[in-house]
Amino acid sequence: MSVKIDTPIDPAAANDSPIPTTLTRRGFVQVGGALFVSLALPAAFSACTKRSPVASGNQLDPALLASWLEIRSDNTILARTGRTETGTGMSSYYAQAIAEELNVRPETISLILGDTDRTPDGGYSAGFIFGMANVRKVAAYTYQALLGLAAAQFGVPVSSLSVVDGVVSGGGKSLSYGHLVQGQHLDLKIPIIGKLAKVDPSEGSGISGLDGFSVTGDPPMKPMSQFKVMGTSFPVPGIPAKVTGKTQWSCDISVPGMLHARMVRPPTLGSTLISVGVLDKRQFPSAEIVGKGNLLAVVSPNEWEAIGAAQAVAASTKWTEWAGLPGSENLTKTLRERKWGAPSESRGNAAEVTAALAGAPKTISVSYEQPYVRHAPIGPFVAVADVRSDGGVTVWTHSSQSQGLRAQIANTLSVPMEKVVVRWLEHSGQYGRTTFGGDGAEGDAVILSRLTGKPVRVQWTLEEDLAWSSVSPGWVADLKAGMDGEGRVVALHTAEYAPHQQDARLLGAILAGMPCSTSKPRTWVTEEWPYDKIPHVLRESHGMPNLAAESAGGGLRGNIMRTPGQRQQVFALEGLINEAAAAAKADPIQFRIEHTSEQRLIDVLNATAKAAGWKSRQSPHSGARRTGTSPVTGRGVCVVFRNNAYWVGIAEVAVTPATGSVRATKFTIGADCGKIINPRQLDRCMKSGVVMGLSEALKEEVTFDKSQVTSKNWNSYKILTMAEVPEIKVVQISRDDKGFGGGSEAANAVVPQAVAAAIFDATGLQPRRMPMRAEYMTALLKEAAGG
Amino acid sequence: MPGELTLTVNGAKQVVSAAPDTPLLFVLRNELKLTGPRLGCGMAQCGACAVLLNGKEIRSCVTAVSDAVGKKVTTIEGLPEIWAGQKGLNPADAAATLHPVQQAWIDEQVPQCGYCQSGMMIVAVELLAKNPNPTVAQIKDAFTHKPPSPHLCRCGTYAAIIDAVQRAAKTMKA
Repeated sequence: MSVKIDTPIDPAAANDSPIPTTLTRRGFVQVGGALFVSLALPAAFSACTKRSPVASGNQLDPALLASWLEIRSDNTILARTGRTETGTGMSSYYAQAIAEELNVRPETISLILGDTDRTPDGGYSAGFIFGMANVRKVAAYTYQALLGLAAAQFGVPVSSLSVVDGVVSGGGKSLSYGHLVQGQHLDLKIPIIGKLAKVDPSEGSGISGLDGFSVTGDPPMKPMSQFKVMGTSFPVPGIPAKVTGKTQWSCDISVPGMLHARMVRPPTLGSTLISVGVLDKRQFPSAEIVGKGNLLAVVSPNEWEAIGAAQAVAASTKWTEWAGLPGSENLTKTLRERKWGAPSESRGNAAEVTAALAGAPKTISVSYEQPYVRHAPIGPFVAVADVRSDGGVTVWTHSSQSQGLRAQIANTLSVPMEKVVVRWLEHSGQYGRTTFGGDGAEGDAVILSRLTGKPVRVQWTLEEDLAWSSVSPGWVADLKAGMDGEGRVVALHTAEYAPHQQDARLLGAILAGMPCSTSKPRTWVTEEWPYDKIPHVLRESHGMPNLAAESAGGGLRGNIMRTPGQRQQVFALEGLINEAAAAAKADPIQFRIEHTSEQRLIDVLNATAKAAGWKSRQSPHSGARRTGTSPVTGRGVCVVFRNNAYWVGIAEVAVTPATGSVRATKFTIGADCGKIINPRQLDRCMKSGVVMGLSEALKEEVTFDKSQVTSKNWNSYKILTMAEVPEIKVVQISRDDKGFGGGSEAANAVVPQAVAAAIFDATGLQPRRMPMRAEYMTALLKEAAGG
Repeated sequence: MPGELTLTVNGAKQVVSAAPDTPLLFVLRNELKLTGPRLGCGMAQCGACAVLLNGKEIRSCVTAVSDAVGKKVTTIEGLPEIWAGQKGLNPADAAATLHPVQQAWIDEQVPQCGYCQSGMMIVAVELLAKNPNPTVAQIKDAFTHKPPSPHLCRCGTYAAIIDAVQRAAKTMKA
């Protein structure tokens, strides 16, 4: 039987939903009973996917397990989403969103995340705002269905019902959700649109459907002003297991018959295999060499044996020589010498901005740059794959894009999607490097498993991860501002030049010469723009292929990294704004306020300035100096507008001119990200973002010679340590009328230019390069002193 | 060649079969299924693999299992038992108790990805055993300057760790 649910859906919005939301009673009743909330695909999509593997492979058949929600007779709720937890707290926010709409306690909700065979929607971790909108709508539809069931059972209208902590009351009766569904087996179908990730050469990243399915329609949802769970500091669910050693991480997966693998990598990015080295079976009796093309590994049932044997084999393996990189010290020169042609993306009117710049009484032209940096998690990539003789493939991973990885693996192995299951587990942070489903040890693992016929666990070493994982490319940017006679910016032209950040290929597939996704050598201009009072703006972004793209290893594979695009473009743009403020002899915060009419930005600027004890004055300060062995202090500001959130960073630094050393002494960070979901976790994300931003500002640089990456351990790829963390103050502004904004990203991106501006305030010298290490500062001070 | 070695891990005697030069980390993880300590750098540069050996923090990725024979190895899985022993708790209470450092890590919501945090808690336990009332500067020093390397967190949870160590110190004094 099928019951039409009495949901007060706006008819216009309902027309967007290809299928009405319906509740279906199944033909049998299980003991206990439950309400299953499943997918309802548009009819057209269902038809067109019948021939394709997608429908059965992702178990979109609503009769199967892939459901959004289960409400069980014991009053617990199981929610499922293909999106993952990357450590920023999404698992608490999803539970809070569902709890809010269902009027239940968040601790009654458990989550299944990221498993492609056990979740309905796909999507990636960075798409949290969309992901939360999905689960919120699902919960809202479910709430209406539950009210409908209660109304029928109580014999009262829906409008007379009330719900507290999962107990429905009305007409003098009360029932918990669990009792309401007891003895029944009901399916609620949710209207969705979208598609699953697939390898798609028409996309810049070579993969489409990254956002998976979206829930459509417009179910009634609770107004923010009535929130009881959203806006509270509900604890992130997985933490107790993490601190007691109970979490099962992707590195902990062990399956029967599994082999441990260690890779034998080429000595350079472009080397090809000449001859495989010798494996001494007396020393390593259980080890075997496995390889395909330039992919070479040693496997053993014993991990320590695999490590020793791989080192021994590597020592006697012969590769061709290769030297096709420019060397990191020549990066800026290489980018400068390139003939770039037309930008891959441009925003604004070139003729209008050119004319405005020509007519401005004063112009400022500056260039900024940054070397390659990388994600550099503490735990190197690891994955387990089981490619079976029946053609089935299971991969255990911590990729943040399970469906994308599934598509990549199906493509590489040339098997139908429905043969591949990706199971997600927690592990070290990815910071964006798996957003497109690529990178990682998963490619190695599936290829080695196919070659050996056994499950294989591939553990990358730190050196391997720092040399071979994808990187955030270096860049240069040229900026020009035109200022009027009153010191206001009237025209602005920014142009960024960089290798692209969308290479989603699996390294194993590249080295083995197996099918890979593609990517396009383009970059983009970030969408958000905080300074609407600057009348003429032209922003351009020029892209190019990977450095050494033609090499056998695929070159330096460019990939996005936390706050992609804006991390780089904000450093340059906000640098120019700081330099323009100095030219106008204006206070840098007041200068920004004069160039925007966005009240949210103005409010968070003022609130953060107040918390930092900011006194209005121009930079550099009166005591600025460029010599001396004692530290000189300064303060600087930077703003970011991203994903419906406004961020302000105020850095205070101490510069020692004699040594060039820069120390952050205090950092105040403010954010208005609309409605705050979880204040304590936002506090944690803001403070940790400051740490990551300081690390990038002061320390990080991927170095390479002509052949390979040379920053391959923590002594050569340095990140911030605890001793270098300053006092961090946090300012949060929550609003009930601006929706939800991104609260995890951007905290890192607001840091580096605030530090650069603080150095300018202290010394009168504006750093225009990251990282602002002592050697760069010393060179800058020396140059200013006339060499 | 593998031989039988007897270890004391989290208070229990364990006989393992392993080549004596196998790093303790791989024995704990692969043979004893104690997955609290994790592989980070494999060369004592990050601290993700830290465990206590007779109460002193060591990096299990570079410590041969043979060097742990006859000594007491403690991983985060064994921290509740240490605390229960120090407080003389009965077995029922002990089973329901976490070490104050673990509880503080929960209460201060320290872990993000959490990969490094086992090693971080090991440092905190060692520090608080020697210095029950550390200043922020002493906490930073313990997590940064003690050989062989700083304890690294890429998610950037250092401020939360400092808060949690101070919270644990208060609890342990109470």
